[in-house]
Amino acid sequence: MQGRGTVKPPTGITFDSDLGNNIDSFLTLAFLQAISAKGDSRVISVSISKSSLKAAQAAEAITKFYEGPPPAGGRGFGGGVGVNPEMVGLADNGKWSNVTPIIDAVLSKKAADGKPAYPWVIGSLLDTADPGITMRNILLAQFDENAVAVLDGPCTDMVGLMELYGARPQITAKVKYLVAAVGAYPGGAAEVNVKSDIASAKKMFAEWPTPIIVVGREVGEALPYPAASIEKDFAWAPSHPIVDAYRTFRTMPYDAPAPGLAAALYAVHPDDGYFRLSEPGTITVLDDGQTKFTPGAGGKHRYLIADAAQKEKVIQLYTQLISAKPVPRVITGRGRGGRGASGAGAFGASGGRGVLPPAAITPAPPSAAPVSK
Amino acid sequence: MYITGKALSRRTVLRGMGTAAIALPFLDSMTPALAAPTKSPVRLAFLYVPNGIMMRDWNPATEYEGKFQEFPRALKPLEDYREDMLQLGNLTHNSGRALLDGAGDHGRCSGSYLTGIQVKKTTIDIKASISCDQIIANKIGGQTRFPSLELGMDDARQAGDCDSGYSCAYTNNLAWRSETQPLPPTLDPRVFFERLFGDGAILSPEERARQAKDRQSILDFVTADTKKLETSLGPTDKRKLDEYLSSIREVERQLEKAEKDNQQINPGMDKPYGVPADFAEHFKLLTDMMVIAFQSDMTRVMTFLVTREGTSRAYREIGIPDGHHPCTHHQNKPDLMEKVSQINEYHTKQLAGFLGKLKATKDGDSNLLDNSMIIYGAGLSDGNRHLHEDLPTLLIGKGGGYLKPGRRIVYRKETPMCNLHLTLMERMGVPMEHFGDASSELDPASVS
Repeated sequence: MQGRGTVKPPTGITFDSDLGNNIDSFLTLAFLQAISAKGDSRVISVSISKSSLKAAQAAEAITKFYEGPPPAGGRGFGGGVGVNPEMVGLADNGKWSNVTPIIDAVLSKKAADGKPAYPWVIGSLLDTADPGITMRNILLAQFDENAVAVLDGPCTDMVGLMELYGARPQITAKVKYLVAAVGAYPGGAAEVNVKSDIASAKKMFAEWPTPIIVVGREVGEALPYPAASIEKDFAWAPSHPIVDAYRTFRTMPYDAPAPGLAAALYAVHPDDGYFRLSEPGTITVLDDGQTKFTPGAGGKHRYLIADAAQKEKVIQLYTQLISAKPVPRVITGRGRGGRGASGAGAFGASGGRGVLPPAAITPAPPSAAPVSK
Repeated sequence: MYITGKALSRRTVLRGMGTAAIALPFLDSMTPALAAPTKSPVRLAFLYVPNGIMMRDWNPATEYEGKFQEFPRALKPLEDYREDMLQLGNLTHNSGRALLDGAGDHGRCSGSYLTGIQVKKTTIDIKASISCDQIIANKIGGQTRFPSLELGMDDARQAGDCDSGYSCAYTNNLAWRSETQPLPPTLDPRVFFERLFGDGAILSPEERARQAKDRQSILDFVTADTKKLETSLGPTDKRKLDEYLSSIREVERQLEKAEKDNQQINPGMDKPYGVPADFAEHFKLLTDMMVIAFQSDMTRVMTFLVTREGTSRAYREIGIPDGHHPCTHHQNKPDLMEKVSQINEYHTKQLAGFLGKLKATKDGDSNLLDNSMIIYGAGLSDGNRHLHEDLPTLLIGKGGGYLKPGRRIVYRKETPMCNLHLTLMERMGVPMEHFGDASSELDPASVS
């Protein structure tokens, strides 16, 4: 049954990453939340494939920052991160990963009153959910083919989702395609997201039931997030989690390769000509972690190709959205109702956050032309 | 142990004139002399309460895990059983949520509670799935007189729209034999009594009234058989048998009282003949018979739909003339919230009576509660907002030594309720690879 009497909402995005291992994952989360606030899509779940409570807290803190203040008189957001406003899917391998400097930069930043500048409520593993279950549960609340999965990390969680009993037909029904910032194309040395879990990468490319669009390392390098934006576009914010993290990741100025960002942009605007696509084919993962693309008409895989002619436009979109000033949210229609309220927000027909009017986010002035290193 | 020449069969039944047939509890004489003691079977019962719970009265004010600390209000009546129960937090039924099916959380949540799937939104061509209790009953039910027993106290309608397009079959049944075949609960204690101790004949109200006129105790019909049996029993078994038969007699007395009261209150009432007007009496009658059914190993699997989802039953016994369901949509109004709290507490008070009886009933080397797994819970947590996560769930008893109760356990968010069902099925000797949306069994280290 397809949501009797309900209007099909914008595409729902599941976002899985090894958040905090690089600045690209932060930028991608920020971009998705910003574009979601604009109403072009909805972030329906956020999950993290590394066992790091701090990463989950950072995900929540960044999301809340981009969501802006809760609506006046409202009890909370009509959805937010994952299926509950405070919830993040988080891998649990029994041992916490080390806290990376960029996560620490976000969580340790204090406001003038000494409280965290970017607050969060996740306090323990129990406040998070299994990543596969998080994605499955929210996907079930989506209209058929009205979700896109974005991956910017190892393939572990996607395989976890796929392996849940009965999940594959649901993935097939709900997910239009998976956009994965994984590998290098058409070839190249093993990329970190593959290398960190080669077995899962092999399984995902062999068995994932929908088409996969991959974004190789080379696309991220061709379309980096510019340091100039960090220097200029966020002046409106006394403090900003992305700026704090970006400045911590490497010595400024540097332009950050951003394959995850490209994956997110393609996921939301696949038909707007920002990228070119390879012919169809099949990707196999070799034992050393290299990815091999074999063209073939029946293949379910394609890789994204950066289009030099679109570079300025793409980077302008990145910078405008990520640096935009969040405005107080207005929850429309069925989005009201707070966490998990039936028929609303997270588990209503819309899933995820309430749909915002396009004016709900104020674009910052465009930055200067991207600075090349 | 009193040693006799020959062990008594576990299936021994006291028979007498008419239709009487009384199964026996487990007696020492049923174990062959000098043989190792027989391990008592594990019993399983689900007790379902509707319309969610006031979660502020269910969960602790400050979250913790491990040994029980202070008991929140709704659990206060169960304090005597703190060492017998596990409180499980964060279990979720995603299939009870709207997903894409719109309104109807009450219909969905009860339909999915034991079936683990999202039921079809319809009032005509109902579709759920076999429930976990019935999967167990199918496997082990052949060892007992009844594969399973289904009880309830509310509405038995099987057709019509009970919630926003969901058939009453979803709200009024917990157990499902197949995806289209619910097992309606028995509401009338007299009918249940006759089922347990009769030959299965369903009597019409007129026949029942005729019998009631010159009613004798069912025990009178089996006097000769009882006396004969007693000659072969040792003193311990004689005492056990006496206590057991007394409990049956006590149920009979309660039934007679209920029937007499019903006649006096409203002779023309269309209420089932043996249903007491008082909620607590009704609950006690049914659960007393549940104890007998477990004690005599007539069944090992029961479901008890205390009241149905969406019920507007009033609780005048405790000064609440308002309907339960409307109260739960309290919109944070303190007076309505207080009423829901009182109803929740009233329910757990009745549960305490049931647990007390199970605990006081000897079973093998321990007691019935130790050899049971009693699940008390609801298909909604916050009834005001229709939430399907952190479902209020108690797992009571020791499951024959498998469970290590006395603790509050909180799982990760979104942990499927079906993980609990998988765990229970495994413990009942029916391991399954999959059930509903389960991702795995519950971590054994958490419950055992």
